Amino acid sequence: MSGQTRDFAPISSPRPRESPLALGVRRILRARSSRAALVVLGIIVLAGALAPLIAPYDPAAQPDIVALKDLPPSLAHPFGTDPYSRDVLSRVIYGARLSLLIGVLATLVSLTLGVAYGAIAGYAGGLVDALMMRVLDAFLSIPRLLLLIGVLVAWPRLSIAALVLFLGFTGWFGLSRIVRGQVLALKHAEFITAARALGASRRRILWRHLLPNLVSPIVVAATLGVAHVVVLEAGLSYLGIGVPQPQASWGNIIQDGADQVAALWWMSLFPGLFIVFTVMTLNILGEALRDAYERRS
Amino acid sequence: MTATTPPLVSIRDLRTWFHTEGGVARAVDGVSFDIGAGETVGIVGESGCGKSVTALSILRLIQPPGRIEPGSRIEFEGRDIVTLGDEEIRDIRGNRISMIFQEPMSALNPVFTVGDQVAEVARVHADMSRKEAWNRAVEMLALTGIPDAETRARQYPHQLSGGMRQRVLIAMALMMKPALVIADEPTTALDVTIQAQILELLVELQKRIGTSILMITHDLGVIAETTSRVIVMYAGEVVEQADVDELFAKPHHPYTEGLMHSMPHIGHDQERLNVIPGTVPAPTDWPAGCRFRERCPYSWDLCEREHPPLYQVGVAHVSRCHLAIEPERRNHPHPPLVVEEGVAAA
Repeated sequence: MSGQTRDFAPISSPRPRESPLALGVRRILRARSSRAALVVLGIIVLAGALAPLIAPYDPAAQPDIVALKDLPPSLAHPFGTDPYSRDVLSRVIYGARLSLLIGVLATLVSLTLGVAYGAIAGYAGGLVDALMMRVLDAFLSIPRLLLLIGVLVAWPRLSIAALVLFLGFTGWFGLSRIVRGQVLALKHAEFITAARALGASRRRILWRHLLPNLVSPIVVAATLGVAHVVVLEAGLSYLGIGVPQPQASWGNIIQDGADQVAALWWMSLFPGLFIVFTVMTLNILGEALRDAYERRS
Repeated sequence: MTATTPPLVSIRDLRTWFHTEGGVARAVDGVSFDIGAGETVGIVGESGCGKSVTALSILRLIQPPGRIEPGSRIEFEGRDIVTLGDEEIRDIRGNRISMIFQEPMSALNPVFTVGDQVAEVARVHADMSRKEAWNRAVEMLALTGIPDAETRARQYPHQLSGGMRQRVLIAMALMMKPALVIADEPTTALDVTIQAQILELLVELQKRIGTSILMITHDLGVIAETTSRVIVMYAGEVVEQADVDELFAKPHHPYTEGLMHSMPHIGHDQERLNVIPGTVPAPTDWPAGCRFRERCPYSWDLCEREHPPLYQVGVAHVSRCHLAIEPERRNHPHPPLVVEEGVAAA
């Protein structure tokens, strides 16, 4: 049959496969600002991941609570020490590990809930959709921070897992709106009708045909979501109701020096910088991804 | 048409209505016709005449507020599609009856390779492994004349030309060797040069697989090239049905006549194309009597009083026009009731 090839389109591109993720990565690597953000975030992530290897001290060790407490930055303790004589650099490194882990895990929880809820509402449509959206409106009207403070204050011994779940459970409302809107817009697309015409079931259409088209907005929302959770966790830990001592998180390191901010400036400056860099780079990357996907469509 | 073997598809009094807030749009309003095994039947008509809704109804792809009204029957292989369960209709879709859509770009999922999409048909309907389905898909793509199918299968829809995308849709439609393929304006979105190739391909593959085709189009050229029998639809109804040669030689219904006159002819010195004046009336209120009456150059008071039935006007030739009983009126045309601006009656 190869004789009858009459409509030629050049086999155009050198990259025969390009998934949305690959496209996102390629676009990110193209812009200088997002490249820099990727490097900075990469360093923070790496530091967190390799914490036991690179932290100079045990983050919970209190070697000499009298002689070694409240030391300003020095060669031995580049970020100084805290009122319990713990090394702040080591705590910031371990804090990176925990804060990012909480950010990512909580976002995964939100993602799962938000995508499932939004997709079901959008695809079901009609009365189901209307009901689910009213429930969502109710959720959205609850201030997330107040709810978290209320619950966490009342919770006796908070585990990290519980904290992740709380952060995740309260973080999916916005995303499910986005997903629902996209599903609603796409479900009458001709390729969905075509999928129905070839006999695909509703489940298959939703998960195999619709959701893969939502990867882009979901990736963007997830990136920005991690940044949001990092700030939120820092805030809660600062209030003393987030990550419990002696575990280090950026928020509770700042809290340890909170009663003498001016005197113990290194205790808020360094973890603060890490929070700012993390959130900033995640936001830059999130925006870059959004640009990449919007330009394409 | 010989009526010895039962037809593959037998549609009786199909009514697909859309219950909108602006009223009930009777998009398809009592359509009956048969498609024989291996036959190619064409449905022709302008936009809004109900031809696409008829096609979608056969696969039960009508979405609310649209509904196939009770009493409609679509018999296919001994079963009534209208009353089948969800599971059963899914088993027919893409397997026994498949569809080729008009816009190959939007009918393909942009985030999957075309090979995946062709293979999916087999994954849904045949108990095939991923690998087997993929190999079948590549074979099918090659069969539709896509060069270097192995490479093309790994590409995304936007990397293919329009003609190739349509070949991909054809591959998907024919993957399971269905009994009936519904082609809804399969060439409308393509360049003229590609159109002919795609039609040729369809006809060739039809012969090879032995499937029936329902060809939906507004283009009489496509009808002439591919079909053996033609159904002309207007305002949700069948207005004329005949074998293709008979229809072109002796069109009976004034609407069919109008369609033919509005085709451009090479060699005829024409200032402008003949058009049928006016437009299809709104499906929420079809006029009483003959629905074509206001655009018709022959209409008289009977056309207003009485909705014409399908008159037998030849061998296997029916027409929904009162001219069948008063043929001499064809010699006295008058300006139609709706008069387009600029073509005012002199």
